[in-house]
Amino acid sequence: MSTNKRKGAANGVTRQEIMAVAAAREIRNSEVAFIGTGLPMVAAYLAKATHAPDAVLVFESGIVGAKPKELATGVGDLRLLVGCVKSTGLYYALSLLQGGFVDIGFLGAAEVDQYGNLNSTAIGDYRRPTVRLPGSGGANDIGSLARRLVIMVPHERRRLVPRVQYLTTPGFLDGPGARERAGLRGEGPTRVITDLAVLDFDPASKRMRLATVHPGVTVEEVEARTGFPLLRAPRVGETPLPSAGEVRLLRERIDPEGIYIGGKG
Amino acid sequence: MGSSKVVSLSEAVASVADGANITFGGFAAYFTPLAFVREMIRRGKRGIEMTSVAECWVADYLAGAGVLKRARFSNFMFEGLGRCQNFVRAVERGEIEVEDYSHFAITSRLVAAGFGLPFMPVKSMAGTDLMGRRGFEAEKARPLACPFTGEPVLLVPAVRPDVAVIHLARSDRDGNSQLFGYTAVVEEQARAAQRVIVTTEEVVEDTVIRAQPELTVLPGFLVDAVVEVPFGAHPTGMYRYYDPDFEFMRDYYAASRDPAAFRAHLEEWVLGPGDHWAYLRKVGLRRLLALRSDPGLGIARMHARTVT
Repeated sequence: MSTNKRKGAANGVTRQEIMAVAAAREIRNSEVAFIGTGLPMVAAYLAKATHAPDAVLVFESGIVGAKPKELATGVGDLRLLVGCVKSTGLYYALSLLQGGFVDIGFLGAAEVDQYGNLNSTAIGDYRRPTVRLPGSGGANDIGSLARRLVIMVPHERRRLVPRVQYLTTPGFLDGPGARERAGLRGEGPTRVITDLAVLDFDPASKRMRLATVHPGVTVEEVEARTGFPLLRAPRVGETPLPSAGEVRLLRERIDPEGIYIGGKG
Repeated sequence: MGSSKVVSLSEAVASVADGANITFGGFAAYFTPLAFVREMIRRGKRGIEMTSVAECWVADYLAGAGVLKRARFSNFMFEGLGRCQNFVRAVERGEIEVEDYSHFAITSRLVAAGFGLPFMPVKSMAGTDLMGRRGFEAEKARPLACPFTGEPVLLVPAVRPDVAVIHLARSDRDGNSQLFGYTAVVEEQARAAQRVIVTTEEVVEDTVIRAQPELTVLPGFLVDAVVEVPFGAHPTGMYRYYDPDFEFMRDYYAASRDPAAFRAHLEEWVLGPGDHWAYLRKVGLRRLLALRSDPGLGIARMHARTVT
């Protein structure tokens, strides 16, 4: 295995690996988790292989209770179907969200604002966008209805913006009480995991705040790469490094080609 | 048993009018009715409107061929490849109108139609631009306090597409149709549409259907026409029949980045081969057989390294 191109953090651990491990730790054992493609899938596999073997993975295509052994190319991948406990439809899978059966969901986005609202629809004018993005898919449903939402994005100023250009998926909308007024369920976003830091939301103002920085990253660096004034948790700590066991699982079993955890550039 | 509903692909495509509102089956890179879509392109269909959830391959083919006029949908994305290039290019140029929904909300609009209801209440989309910003719909969604409890809900109106075009595993001549694996949205799409065309991997005797009725996703009375098209979802995959042709998809995606290259791709793979059989001959027996599912696993052996 080539490791000479792994970079970005201590001990040759990639920042994507730190993100995957931080995300995996958000999934508690026996929880029902709504999973998309990419790093969230890596994180879910890792959680199941470590502290959360009984976590139930649900995919919007209609695959429930998947027990995958290799990375899928998407949420409809037939390899997720082999060995799952229930094969059904999209309406059933998403009804689980509305019914309150889903504990946690993971989402990425092109833009995230200080209230944890996400844009995955359009940059520029909605009807004549500069960049047309893929669209909500199940993202809005997950953000509206999952008990907890974990956001995973690269930490860039153009991505962590004061206000999303199109509000696809609700975080805390425009602040305290807004989710309740709109009739949304769930706690809203509880974590934002980036390649620099882990963030959460101030309980009173519902604004994003810095919780931990990854090893080798400074608070100033995080603030400089955030497009809005970032609150700080009472004590900003350091994100724990992945254990040797977690790194081995990621590199040898879960993502041996380095598709999502990097390192094989 | 009534008279056979089996028709040819060209007859089925000819029955769809220009400007029709169509809901296509499939999901992401799987069981998408692409033989039908290629024939639509050959026949020069125009002004098509899609009522869609995540049928990215249909949207991108139709956008790239200039067939698609508008789409109400929730997500078009080639997972593992990127944004649907033909589709986004046309939207960014203002050539295709869009109306965005969440998966649950657009599916709920189809459910309402299939249930014979004017609307469905949903608990998502509220408070966001999905609710507040309109594309081409006269009215998209309306917030309401529940008359019993006062709880806020969002009402989305029924949508009744002119036609549903759905690719399934096997059908009998009455249209009773079965699918292995997850069903995505096909049951809701079929019940919402005014007319249902099923393209199918194989037409079988009704005794085959009746031997495993639990696999039936569409009873024949919902189905108006059946078209037999083996490998009719290629390059997308069909559980227990064949896997997605990822190599073809990568070639398609590379071509789709440039309009001229995509025209050449369409010429070579859609317009050149005059029909579905010529298309399959061009893809080639060796390639098709390599995609074939292992009967025990349901997927192709080449994609099953560590599944067993």
